[in-house]
Amino acid sequence: MLELKNISKTFNPGTVNEKLALNNVSLTIEDGDFVTVIGGNGAGKSTMLNAIAGVWPVDEGQILIDGQDVTKLPEYKRASYLGRVFQDPMNGTAAAMNIEENLALALRRGQKRTLRQGIKASEREAYRELLSGLGLGLEDRMTSKVGLLSGGQRQALTLLMATLRKPKLLLLDEHTAALDPKTAAKVLETTETIVNRDHLTTLMITHNMRDAIAHGNRLIMMMEGEIILDIRGEEKMGLSVQDLLSRFEQVSGKEFANDKAILG
Amino acid sequence: MNIASLINALPGAAAQGLIWGIMAIGVYITFRVLDIADLTVDGSLCTGGAVCIMMMQAGYNVWIAMLVATLAGMLTGLATGLFHTFMGIPAILSGILTQLGLYSINLKIMGKSNQAINVDKYDLLVSLRYIKGVAFYKNTILIVAVIIVILIAILYWFFGTELGCSLRATGCNGHMARAQGINTSFNRVLGLMISNGLVALSGALRGQDPGFADINMGRGAIVIGLAAVIIGEAIFGKIFHNFALTLLSVAFGSIIYYLVLQVVIWLGIDTDLLKLLSALVVAVFLAIPYWQGKYFSKPVKKGGSH
Amino acid sequence: MTFDEQNAQGDSNTCSTIINSFVSADVDLILANATAALQAAQAGTDTIPVLGTSITDYATALELDSFDGTVGGNISGTSDLAPLAEQAAMLAELFPDAETVGLLYCSAEANSQYQVDNVQAELESLGYTCTQYSFSDSNDIAAVAQSAADASDVIYVPTDNTAAANTEIIDNICRPAGVPVIAGEEGICEGCGVATLSISYYDIGYISGEMAAQILTGEADISTMPIEYAPNVTKEYNAEICEDLGITVPDDYVAIATEE
Repeated sequence: MLELKNISKTFNPGTVNEKLALNNVSLTIEDGDFVTVIGGNGAGKSTMLNAIAGVWPVDEGQILIDGQDVTKLPEYKRASYLGRVFQDPMNGTAAAMNIEENLALALRRGQKRTLRQGIKASEREAYRELLSGLGLGLEDRMTSKVGLLSGGQRQALTLLMATLRKPKLLLLDEHTAALDPKTAAKVLETTETIVNRDHLTTLMITHNMRDAIAHGNRLIMMMEGEIILDIRGEEKMGLSVQDLLSRFEQVSGKEFANDKAILG
Repeated sequence: MNIASLINALPGAAAQGLIWGIMAIGVYITFRVLDIADLTVDGSLCTGGAVCIMMMQAGYNVWIAMLVATLAGMLTGLATGLFHTFMGIPAILSGILTQLGLYSINLKIMGKSNQAINVDKYDLLVSLRYIKGVAFYKNTILIVAVIIVILIAILYWFFGTELGCSLRATGCNGHMARAQGINTSFNRVLGLMISNGLVALSGALRGQDPGFADINMGRGAIVIGLAAVIIGEAIFGKIFHNFALTLLSVAFGSIIYYLVLQVVIWLGIDTDLLKLLSALVVAVFLAIPYWQGKYFSKPVKKGGSH
Repeated sequence: MTFDEQNAQGDSNTCSTIINSFVSADVDLILANATAALQAAQAGTDTIPVLGTSITDYATALELDSFDGTVGGNISGTSDLAPLAEQAAMLAELFPDAETVGLLYCSAEANSQYQVDNVQAELESLGYTCTQYSFSDSNDIAAVAQSAADASDVIYVPTDNTAAANTEIIDNICRPAGVPVIAGEEGICEGCGVATLSISYYDIGYISGEMAAQILTGEADISTMPIEYAPNVTKEYNAEICEDLGITVPDDYVAIATEE
């Protein structure tokens, strides 16, 4: 489904802020995989997701989605393959537009935007049903501006938008990190439900080791722009936080220094 | 100072305000919908006036002249848009570059700095003279008001289409727009073209109204446009939520600006200070939402499920 | 009699607003100074008498098809058109051996092109080769003046506001290059010219006042009043620049009184 071949990216080359953010990363994800990604700050997790999404061009390497080489495609064209939810709840929705308009924009992902009406009456009923599935009461506020919603509501809506048109790959970039624990759990639960329902191939970054272990069928850990651990199948199912920490120390020769990842 | 003369002057001021209102709607599209401060306006306004007057002098019908002026304005927006998206120049600087370049182009369109169009010789759509004592269907205020209503209807329809919605999303949140497969670069260019087309149309009317186009006629236009936008928002923002009504409030804002200007002149304030006054008024109105956010805001709960 | 004096500060948009207030106050007469003000006044009213002043060419300003010296209707006024034929003759009198004349002016000024075209026709009939050097705003003056100075024996600068505001620049380029400047009016001559044949703005202002009085008292009908021109011209020279360039002017030239 997704193939990264020797991807490298350096930010601010030739300046004092030069940083090798991705170092020759290769990764293959199979159809239906739910991969969780973990790692400390600056490990390259978000950089990898942004490389896949095409936020900027990579320096080296090749990216294939569903067998198609998308390395040279601009961000908006890659969007037809991808559903994305961002860490910042502000990023995933258009605050000045209302809920149904946001959903209508998402429904037309990957299609030509024409001079036909932005929302057809028939769509509204489908949106109402999907929104009521979230259990947040948003189905009664379809003409409210999204800017009036809470962070959790916005993330749930973004998740709905990312999956409204079934993506080849769902990219979740720490999408619960900015939420309080209760809301985060709820959004994560919704994520699990939607991913299972639609059999979505998913790549989810998280700061939280427990979440990384509890969700998905495969876990990768990144450090300094490289993938240092890749645990899948049976092994992943029986994994504990303690196992993960010791595996980390084994491969890196360091202690895991991110308290938030352990405690969170 | 005679209050009767002020009252007499108000219809004329309202007509001026309406003509500028079309430009203000164009400014609204870049400034509020696309979130770009587009300084092309100072040049494209004159382009509209120049093209319209040269076409009419060459014998073309006033409607055709205005249509071509609008298209010329769209080309100026295209130039700024390409500077910005294709060449990666910041939006403000792109507008300044186009504006500067248009100074030369406008001179070349007119062949000199000032071209007149004699109201006695041409069938003008609007004129300073068509305010009083003309048949109501020739009245400048009515004609421009009808044009504005038609324009608002078209824009309201357009911004409700798939393309129009994607344009609004582009200005509102570029991340989200691109993630939803929207070509934000194309949309920025498109928005700049629509905006400058409206500005040039306003310029075409502005040229007919006092009977001449002048190389300096666009100077400070962006400030007048912004003033109209923020006055409209400040006064009608609480009442008008619908997009069409918001556009209407911008046109009202422009009228109010000109009524105030007329009063200022009537009061006998030194006209040398008009530009300073405009700049200060715009600065203060732009600062108000910032100050409100900074000093008077209630703490907002972040996150949370409800 | 009351006067309502409004200055559009060079802003053509403010002209419309001011004319609107004059027309709605139903004033008895509008005196419009400079082209944009006259154009706005013409668009604003066909009944209130409008007198223009400091207008170079009424036919161009008002886009008239035919102009026989009288505009007609509710418009008349005075022209500040410099005596262009005489200015060309003056250039020939002072520099009979020169071959090329550069005409330096601002293309963004309504009247300069008109003057330059007319002077060029006069000079060419006197056997000079002329080239026009136009700048579109004050930022470009130095570069354009330099190329004019490089290629010309004499430079002519018409009555031009932008040039008038930047005589220092023109002087700093032309004097070291040894190229004399003939100016269209006294102010420019004082800054950078060797000589001018100048009209007096006081004179045309005075004439405008007389015309206004005749209209207001009903002595004259504005529709039949011809455009008036400045009655007297004076040959003037800039003593300092002439001395620097080693130019001696005939005795009938008057030195411009420089403010020291």
